[in-house]
Amino acid sequence: MTEMTREGNNAGTVNCKPVKPKRKRKMSTLKRREHWMALLFISIKYFGLIVFTLIPLLVALLYSFTNYIGTFETEPFFTRIGALWCGFDNYKKLFSDSTYGTMFLNAVKNNLIFTLSVPIGIFIGLVIAVMLSKEEVIRGSRIFRLLIYVPVVSSAVAMNIIWRYIFDNQYGIINQTFHLQTQWLTDNNWIKVAIVFKSAWGSIGRTMILCLAALTNVGKDYYEAAELDGASEIVKFFKISVPLISPTIFYLFTTGFISNLEAYTDAQVFAEGLPGAQTVVYYIWNYGIQRSRYGIASAASFVLTIAIMLITMLQFKLQNKWVYSD
Amino acid sequence: MNRKEVQKNEATEGRRNSDLLRRRSKGGKGEIRQKAARMTGIVLVYAFLIVVCFSCLFPFVWMALSSLKTAKEVTNALTIVIFPQTPQWHNYVTVFEKINIWRGLLNTMTVEVATIPLCVFASGLSAFAFSKMELKHRNTHLMAQLSALMIPYACVVLPIYKAYYQLGLTNTLLPLILPSLFGGVSMMFFFVQFQRAIPNAIFEAAKVDGAGYFSQYVRIMIPMMWPAIAAQVIFMFIANWNDYFAPSLYLTTEDSMTLQLMLKSLSDSQVDLPITFAGAVIACVPLYIIYIVFQRYFIEGMAISGVKG
Repeated sequence: MTEMTREGNNAGTVNCKPVKPKRKRKMSTLKRREHWMALLFISIKYFGLIVFTLIPLLVALLYSFTNYIGTFETEPFFTRIGALWCGFDNYKKLFSDSTYGTMFLNAVKNNLIFTLSVPIGIFIGLVIAVMLSKEEVIRGSRIFRLLIYVPVVSSAVAMNIIWRYIFDNQYGIINQTFHLQTQWLTDNNWIKVAIVFKSAWGSIGRTMILCLAALTNVGKDYYEAAELDGASEIVKFFKISVPLISPTIFYLFTTGFISNLEAYTDAQVFAEGLPGAQTVVYYIWNYGIQRSRYGIASAASFVLTIAIMLITMLQFKLQNKWVYSD
Repeated sequence: MNRKEVQKNEATEGRRNSDLLRRRSKGGKGEIRQKAARMTGIVLVYAFLIVVCFSCLFPFVWMALSSLKTAKEVTNALTIVIFPQTPQWHNYVTVFEKINIWRGLLNTMTVEVATIPLCVFASGLSAFAFSKMELKHRNTHLMAQLSALMIPYACVVLPIYKAYYQLGLTNTLLPLILPSLFGGVSMMFFFVQFQRAIPNAIFEAAKVDGAGYFSQYVRIMIPMMWPAIAAQVIFMFIANWNDYFAPSLYLTTEDSMTLQLMLKSLSDSQVDLPITFAGAVIACVPLYIIYIVFQRYFIEGMAISGVKG
C-alpha cells in the first residue's frame, strides 16, 4: 500500500488510472498526512524567517517613515507612531539634506567604487582556475589551491589589522619598499585604492574554487578541437573557458556585488571610519546604532535592500537569457 | 554564438587535422621551437602561480614575523626589518595579560557549540521535507525561503537591536545564538541539493517497515548526509568565528566579547603593535589548523554550493 503511494507520487496520474476509486481516496489521505508532516518540518524554518526577518523588516519599514529616536525612547514605538510619523521625509533627506544626504551619497559613491574589486578579483581568480585546471601540464594544483584559498578562511579583523600595518603611511612595507609617501590610510581617495586591492585579494580564492569546479564539467573535446585549429591559450581562454562557465562567472558577479554592498568591516576596522571609506552599512550603523536616528538609518537600509533585491532579481531573470548553459 | 563556432570547428576538424599533420611533418626546427615556447609558457605560469601564492600568504607571514619583533623594529621608518633580531616570544605572554583571550575564546566557542548542531538539524529537517516528502506548492515554499537571502542583515538590525535592548539581552550571547537555532537558508538549500541525489528507494523501504518521517530523517537521512554536514559545519564554524558586525553591535562589555571583538579592542587600545599582531595570530591559527585538517570538505563543499548556487 505504501509502496503504491510512493509510486503514484513519482509517476504522476498515469499510474493511478487503473486503481479503484476507493483506494484512490485512501492514498490521498496518506498523501495529505505526508503533506502536513512536511509542512510541520519546514515550519521551524518559517518560524525563524518570520521572527528574525519578516517582522523586523516590517517594523524597519515603519521606522523609516518616522522620526523615531530608538534607544532613548521609553514608550513603546507603536503607541507613538502617529506623533512620530513624517512620511517620506527621511527618504527625501537621504538624497538632498546637507548633512544626512551628503553623508549618504558619499557612502553610496564609496560602495560603488569598491565594487571595482569584483571584476578584478574574478578575472585573476579565473585566470588561476584555468591554469590549475590543466592538471596534466601544471603539477601541484592541490597545494596551489590550498594556499590561494587561505585568505578566504582568515579572520577578517586580524587581516584588516595587518593590512592597516602594511599600508601604513610611515612604517608600512608598501611605502617603504617603493619609497612612496602615499597617504593610504588618511587620504580619502588613496584609501579606496587600498580597499579595492584588499577586497580583490580576499575574493580570489573563492572565484578560483568555483571556477575550477565549473571547468571540470567542461568537456575536454572543445579544447581538443580548438587545439587542432591551432588556437592559442589566450583564444581558448576567451572563446571556450569563459563562455562555457559563464553561469558561474555571472553568479560570482552578482554575489560579489551584493557582498560588497553589505561591506562593513573594511570601513570600521581597516579605515577606522574615515569618510572616504564609509559604506552604506557603516552609515546605518553610524546613524542607527551610534546616534539612535532610527528613522533615517532605516530609510537608508531600505534603499540598500531595494538595491540588493534588484540585483538578485536581475540575476534570476538574466541567468537563463544570455548566459550560456547546457 | 561561441558554441556555434566550436561546432563549426569540429565540423572542419578533419581538414584541419590533415593541415596539422602536414605542419608536423615539416618536423625538426619548428617542433623544437614550439616545444621551447611551450616550456617558457609553463615556466611563466608557475612563476605567476608562485607570485599569487606568495601574495596570498604574505599578510599572515608578515603578521607572524612582526609579532615577534620589538616595538622599535616594527615602527622603524628608515629601513624595513624583515626578521626580528631576537624573537620576542614574550609578546605572546603579554597579550594574555592585556586581554582575557580565554574568555573571548570561551564566548566564541559557546556560540559555536550552541548554534551549529541545532542549525544543522533544523536545516536538514526542512531540506528533508523539500527533497523527499510530498509537499504541495513546493516551489512556492522554496521561493519564500529563498527570498530571505535578499534581505541584508543591516536592514533588519535596528528593530532586532531595539528588541534585544528592551529585553536586556545585549551583552549576552543570546542575540548571536537565537537566530541560528531555526536553521539557515543557504544551508538548507545546500542540503536539498545533496538529499535529492540520495535514491528514494531507501526511504520507501523504511516506510514499508513502518518508520515515521521523523525517524526516517534521523535514522536514515542524517547518517547518509555526513559529507554535506561536515562541509556545512566547517563553513558555519568559520563564519561564526569571523563574524564581526553582529557581535560588535550587541557586545560591549569585556566579559561578553567574542575573540574578534577582543582583537579589535586590543588594536584600539594603546598597546605596542607587535602585541596586537600576536593577538591576531592567536585569532587566526585555530582556523588555519581546521582548514588544513578538513581541506577536502572545504573545497568540495565550496564547489557544490557554488556550481548549483
